[in-house]
Amino acid sequence: MIMNRRSLLTTALTLGAMKAFPGLSYAQARPLVFATFTGSWEEAHKAVLVPAFRKANADAAMVLDPMLSVDQIAKVNAAKANPPVDVMLHDPGPALVAIGQDLVEPYPVEKSAYYKDLIAEAQEPTGPAPFFQVVGLTYNPEAVKTPPTSWADLWKPEFKGRVGITNLNSTLGTGWLVEIAKMRGGSEANVDPGFKALEELKPNLAAVAANPGALATLFQQGQIDISPGNFNAIQILKARGVPVEFVAPKEGAIAFKTTIHIVKNSPNRELAFKLIEAALTPEVQTTLMNPPYLIVPTNSKVTMGGEIARVLAKDTAELKKKFVFQDWKKINEQRSAWIERFNREIKI
Amino acid sequence: MGAAPASRDVTSYGMGLAAPLALFFLLFFVAPLLQLLWLSLHNDTAGLHWGLGQYLHFLTDPFSLGVLGSTLLLGAEVTAVCLVLGFPIAWLYQRVGPRLQTIIILIVLLPLLTSVVVRTFAWIVILGRQGIINATLQSLGIIETPLKLLYTQFGVVLALAQVQMPLMTLPLITALGRIDPNLDDASCSLGAGSWRTFFRIVLPLSLPGVIAGCTLTYAAAITAFITQSLIGGGQMLFMPMYLYQQASTLQNWPFASAISIIFLLAVLAVVSVFTTLGRMSRGYGGA
Repeated sequence: MIMNRRSLLTTALTLGAMKAFPGLSYAQARPLVFATFTGSWEEAHKAVLVPAFRKANADAAMVLDPMLSVDQIAKVNAAKANPPVDVMLHDPGPALVAIGQDLVEPYPVEKSAYYKDLIAEAQEPTGPAPFFQVVGLTYNPEAVKTPPTSWADLWKPEFKGRVGITNLNSTLGTGWLVEIAKMRGGSEANVDPGFKALEELKPNLAAVAANPGALATLFQQGQIDISPGNFNAIQILKARGVPVEFVAPKEGAIAFKTTIHIVKNSPNRELAFKLIEAALTPEVQTTLMNPPYLIVPTNSKVTMGGEIARVLAKDTAELKKKFVFQDWKKINEQRSAWIERFNREIKI
Repeated sequence: MGAAPASRDVTSYGMGLAAPLALFFLLFFVAPLLQLLWLSLHNDTAGLHWGLGQYLHFLTDPFSLGVLGSTLLLGAEVTAVCLVLGFPIAWLYQRVGPRLQTIIILIVLLPLLTSVVVRTFAWIVILGRQGIINATLQSLGIIETPLKLLYTQFGVVLALAQVQMPLMTLPLITALGRIDPNLDDASCSLGAGSWRTFFRIVLPLSLPGVIAGCTLTYAAAITAFITQSLIGGGQMLFMPMYLYQQASTLQNWPFASAISIIFLLAVLAVVSVFTTLGRMSRGYGGA
C-alpha cells in the first residue's frame, strides 16, 4: 500500500480546506461572470451586450457562462457564500424560485439611470426585465393558407394530426396551458378548463415535443403545421429558410419577462450592476431589436421597428394592449401538480 | 534468503496502484451517491424531515411504477434488436478476409465517432413525416398518408438500437474470435448440419460475449436521455426524463433522489441477472 494513514489525512485535510475556503483554489479577483441562456441568447449577448459593457467600463474583464435557469439556481445554491456567477438571467418561473431561495440582491433602483424608462411591467425591484419573450401562434404558410387568428383555431378539424405542443417542463408549455384555461373560463389558479381543452385537442395533436427547441425543428421536418411558438425561435428558423410565420392571436400574445439579477454575495457587485445597466440602455436594446436578433425591447425610449413593429406592436401603448402577462407566483404554486397531471393524462 | 520471495505472494497484487483511481471514485462517485441516498430519505424538499415518504410515493403510485416498467421494457426490446442484428455481423466478421474485416470494424465503430445528438437528429430526419422512410414508401405507392414513426415506441427502439449497436457487436466479435474454428469442422465431420453446429457449438461458446454485450447495451439504452426524449417526444416518459423533470423543472430533489436510487437498484437487479447467467454460461462453455 502506497496510501498510508498520514498521506490520506493530508489529502483529506487539503481537500477539506479547499472546501472551507474556496478562495484558495482560485485567484482573488475573478472576472464578472454572466450566466446567460444557451443558443441564440448567448450569440446575441456575445455580439452586442458584452462589447457595449466593456466599452462603457474601461474594458473590464467579463465572461459569459451560458446555462439554463435551473442550472444557474443549482450552481449558486451550491455555493451561496461565494457564488460562481455574478449575474443571472431567468424566465418568470425560475426567477421567483431564485428570489424565494434568497439568491438575488435587490436592484439598486435609485442608482439606475434607465430603470425609470422601462415599461411598468418590466420594472422589478428584484431585478429588471431587459427583454420580453413573446409566445403566439406559429404556422407553416405553405400548408395553412388562411392565417390563424385565435388560439381556438388549433382545435379546427382541418388541423387533424397537424398540431404540435410542448410539455409543461418549459415556460412556453406552462404559459400556454394557462392561456388556454383562461380562454375557457379558468385562471392561473384553476387550469382545469385547460386540461379539458387539451383532452379535446388530442385528435389534432401530432407531437408533444420535449422542449421548445425540439418543437421548432418539427416544422422543418413537416411533422407539424401549427403550434404555439416563441417569437424569437421562429425568427431564427425563418432566417434559415424554413417556411414559418408568427401571428399574435387576438386573445393577446403571451409575454414572459426575462429578468436579470445581481447574485447575492457576488464579489463583483458594482460591475454586475453596470452590466445590467448596459442591458437596459436604449442603444443595446435597439441593436438587439434589429435583425438577426429581433429581441423585444422593454425600454420605452426604444422606437419599435422592423419585424417586431410589423407583427407585434408599433409602440409601447400597442404593446401593452396586445401582450398578456401572467401571474407566475400563482402558477408556481401548482405547477408541479400540473406537470404530474400532464404526465398522466396526455398520451397520444 | 528464501524467506523474502516466500513472504510475497505472486498471485496477489498490491493495492497501491489502484489507490488513485479508488480515491477518485470515493470522492466523485461514492460520496455523491451517499449524498443522494441521504437526500432521498427526506419527506420535504428542504431536506429537514426524515422519512421514507418519497419511496412510498413512488412505490405505491401506479403511474411511477408504469414509467419504471416501460423503461425496463424499452431496454429489453433494444437489447433484443441489437442481439438479433449484431450477431450475424460478428459472425460474418470471423469468416471474411482481413480487408473485409477492416471494413466491418469501421462500419461498426463509425456510430461511436459521431455524437449521439447528431445521430439522433439524423433519425428524426429519417423517421419524420417527410422523412426518408415515408417518402420512399409513398413514392412506391405502398402507403398514401405518411406513417407515424417519430414519437412512437417503435421509433425509439429503432434509433436506440442503431445508437447502441457497437456495444453489442464488439464483445460478440471478441467472443466469437475465441472459438476454435476446428470445433466447427469437428461438429460437421461428426454429421451435424450447420444449424445444429450453430446452436450446439457456436452459440453456447459465445455466451460470455452475448451476456457482456447485452449488459452494456441494456444499461446504455435505458439511460439514453437524449435519444429517448428527442425521438420519443414530450409525452413518452421514461425514467431519465422523469428524473430530470423532478430535479430540474420542479426542484424536488428528494423525490428525484428517490427515483435515482430506485432506478439504480432496478438496473443493478437486471445486471446481476445477466451476470449470474454469465457465470453459469462460463461453466457451460468450459465443459
